[in-house]
Amino acid sequence: MEDQAGSQGGDAVNERESLFRRLSAACAGNGAASEAPFPGGAPVAPECDPVALFAKTFTAAGGVPLFGPAEQALSDLGEMLRAEGVTALFFPEDDPAAREIAEALVPFGPFNLTSGAEVREGSAAVTAGFRTAEAAIAETGTIVETSAGGKTLLPGLIADVHVSIVRVASLVARMEEALASFTADPPRNISFLSGPSRTGDIEQTLTVGAHGPKKAIALLLR
Amino acid sequence: MELNANAFGRTARKALLDKTLQEALGRTTGRFQAHRDAAIAAFPEFEATRERASRIKRDVLDHLDTYLARFIEEAEKRGAIVHVARDAAQAREIGARIARDEGITLAVKSKSMAAEEISLNEALQGAGVTVVESDLGEYIIQLAGESPSHIIAPAVHKTREEISRLFERHLGEPRTDSIPELIGMARRHLRAKFFSAGMGISGGNFLVADTGSVVLVTNEGNGRMGTILPRVHLAVVGIEKVIPRMADLPTFLRLLPRSATGQAISSYVSIVTGRRREGDPEGPERTHILLLDCGRSAILEGKYREILKCVRCAACLNSCPVYQSVGGHAYGWVYSGPIGAVLTPLLVGLPEATALPDASTLCGACADVCPVKIPLPDFLLELRSDARAQGLKTPGEIVAMKGYAGVMQRAGLLEAIERIAGVLGQFFTKGKGIGGLPYPFSGWTERRDFPAPAAQPFRKQWKIKRGARGGTR
Repeated sequence: MEDQAGSQGGDAVNERESLFRRLSAACAGNGAASEAPFPGGAPVAPECDPVALFAKTFTAAGGVPLFGPAEQALSDLGEMLRAEGVTALFFPEDDPAAREIAEALVPFGPFNLTSGAEVREGSAAVTAGFRTAEAAIAETGTIVETSAGGKTLLPGLIADVHVSIVRVASLVARMEEALASFTADPPRNISFLSGPSRTGDIEQTLTVGAHGPKKAIALLLR
Repeated sequence: MELNANAFGRTARKALLDKTLQEALGRTTGRFQAHRDAAIAAFPEFEATRERASRIKRDVLDHLDTYLARFIEEAEKRGAIVHVARDAAQAREIGARIARDEGITLAVKSKSMAAEEISLNEALQGAGVTVVESDLGEYIIQLAGESPSHIIAPAVHKTREEISRLFERHLGEPRTDSIPELIGMARRHLRAKFFSAGMGISGGNFLVADTGSVVLVTNEGNGRMGTILPRVHLAVVGIEKVIPRMADLPTFLRLLPRSATGQAISSYVSIVTGRRREGDPEGPERTHILLLDCGRSAILEGKYREILKCVRCAACLNSCPVYQSVGGHAYGWVYSGPIGAVLTPLLVGLPEATALPDASTLCGACADVCPVKIPLPDFLLELRSDARAQGLKTPGEIVAMKGYAGVMQRAGLLEAIERIAGVLGQFFTKGKGIGGLPYPFSGWTERRDFPAPAAQPFRKQWKIKRGARGGTR
C-alpha cells in the first residue's frame, strides 16, 4: 500500500517532467515569449457616458436597469418583484447597502426578510437576493461580484431574482479595467454576471432561469 | 467516448434518413448562424480582435512550455492541486483516484468536451461515484443514455416532445409541451443535486498563466454552482487552453460568445483561482486541476499545430453544409463538424478516422467564421493527402478507382460507355437528375440525386468548343 502510494507520487512527478520534455522539444527555437499583452482595439470610446452605455448593454443582456434610490425606483422595483411572485428578500449580513434597500422595499410588499441560510436549505418561497456589486462593466452590461474579503455570492447564485446595487462610481468602461485590480492576487471567485440565467438547450428557444436567477435587476446609485 | 469515426458513411446515411433529427437540425443550425452573423455585424472590431486572438494563441503555442509552467506554478501557489495526464487511460485513473481519496459519492458536472474525450464519467462510475450532468442539454441526453451531438448544444437533436417523455419516465414529471415548464422541472431536480454533491466537475475555456486561474463561460449558471457549492472542485482541461495573462482574457471573451451563440457576452463568466480562502463563506475546500495532454504535445510538434488554437465555439459546425445535413453523431466521436474532422484524426490517429477529412465539401465557410483563424480547409485537404500517402483507403474506394483507371486508359471503351450512358440517360431522365438507381448504385442515390449524363460527353464538348475558338491543337 505504502509502495503503491509512493510509486503513484513518483509517477506524477515523472509524468509532469516528461510532459515538459515533450513541450520543450516542440517549442525549441521559437525565441522568447511575448513580454506584454498584445495591443488591440478598444471597443468602447473612452468619452462615451458609461451610465447610458451600461443601461443599454445590460438591457440587451436581458437585465433591467433602475436608477435609485428615489421613491419611484423603489416602487418600480417592488412592483417588479411582486410580478415575479417574490415573497422573500435576502441580503448578506455584511452588506449594509443591500440591507437598506431590502428593508426599504418591505412596505411595497408583502415581502418577508429572510437569510441566505434559509434559502440555501430549500425554502419554498420565491426569493430575491440583494447584493452590492464590486464593479459593473459598461461594454458588456456586466455585474462584477467576487469572493474577495470573504464576501458571499449566494444572492446572485441561488435566488430567483437577483437585485444588484451598483454604485455609479464603480462603473468601468471595459472588461480590462474591471480585471486590472485582480491580476496581482485574484480571489477564489470572480464572477461576471450579464443578465439572467438562460438556456437555449431545448429547440434553441431562449428561456430564462435555467439554474440561476430568472430576472436580473441593477439598481444604479449615484 | 467510444470511437466510431470510420463509420461516417453509414452513420451519415442514417442521420439523413432520420426525420426527427433532420427537423431538429433544420430548426437550429440556421438560427445559430443568423445570431452569430448579426453579432459580428454589430461588432466592427471583429477582424482586429480575431487577428489579435490568433496572434496570442500562436504565441502560446510557440511557448506552451513556458506558459503552462507558469500556470501550474501560480495555480499551486494559490492552493490548487495540479495533475498531468499523458493519455485518456491515465486521466481516468487520476480522476477516479481523486474521487476515492476525497470520499465522493455524488458529483455534479458542467459541460466539458475534455471530460467527454477521456470518458471521465465511466471512470468515476467505476469508482462508485454517481455523476449528474448539470448542463440542461447534457442532462437530457444523459437521461436518454446518448452522447452529445453538438459542442455547445448537445441536445440539438431532441424535440420538446421527446424531452417531456424522458422527464415523465425518469423524473416522474407530468407531460407538457411548454419549454419553460420543462426547464423548471430540470432546475428543481438539479438544484437538489448541487446542494448534496461532494464534487463539482467542470471543464475550462481558458487557463490564465499569470494568475493560475480557470475561466468558465456559461449561460445557465451551472458552472458557477458547481464551482461554488460543492466542497471539491475538479477542472478537466486540455493543456492548449492556456492564455498568457488576465489582460488577454477580454479579447477572447469578446470573440467566444459572439461566435458561439451570437451574444455580446455569455450570462456568466467565472474566473476561479486556487481554493477557498480563509474567511470565505463558500467555495471548494480543495481544487484539483487535471491537465490533459492526450495527443496534444504530438500535434504541437507537427504541421497541424494551429488546430490547438481552437476555443471550441462551434461556429465552424454551424456554418458547415455537411454538419448541417448530418449533425454531430455521424462524426463518431466527441468533436464534430470541421473541427472534429481535423482534430479527431490528429487525437486518435488517422487510420482510426480516415473517413472524417473526406466529410467536407471544402467550401471554406469554416475558415471564414473561425474566430482564431484556423485554416481548417487547408488542414482537411492535407489530411486527405496524408491518408493517401499512408495507403489509407476504403476497399470500395480502391475497387472504384481501379475500375475508373481501367476505363480511362482505354479511349474506345470510354467513348462507348459515354455514348450509351448519354442516350439512355437522356431517354430515362428527360435531362433531369436521377433520383433512384437499383442496387448497388442505390447506395449513392438514396442520399442524393445523380446528375443525368450529359447528352454530349465532356470530351466531345471540349473538342467542339476548342474547335469553335480556333484552338491550335
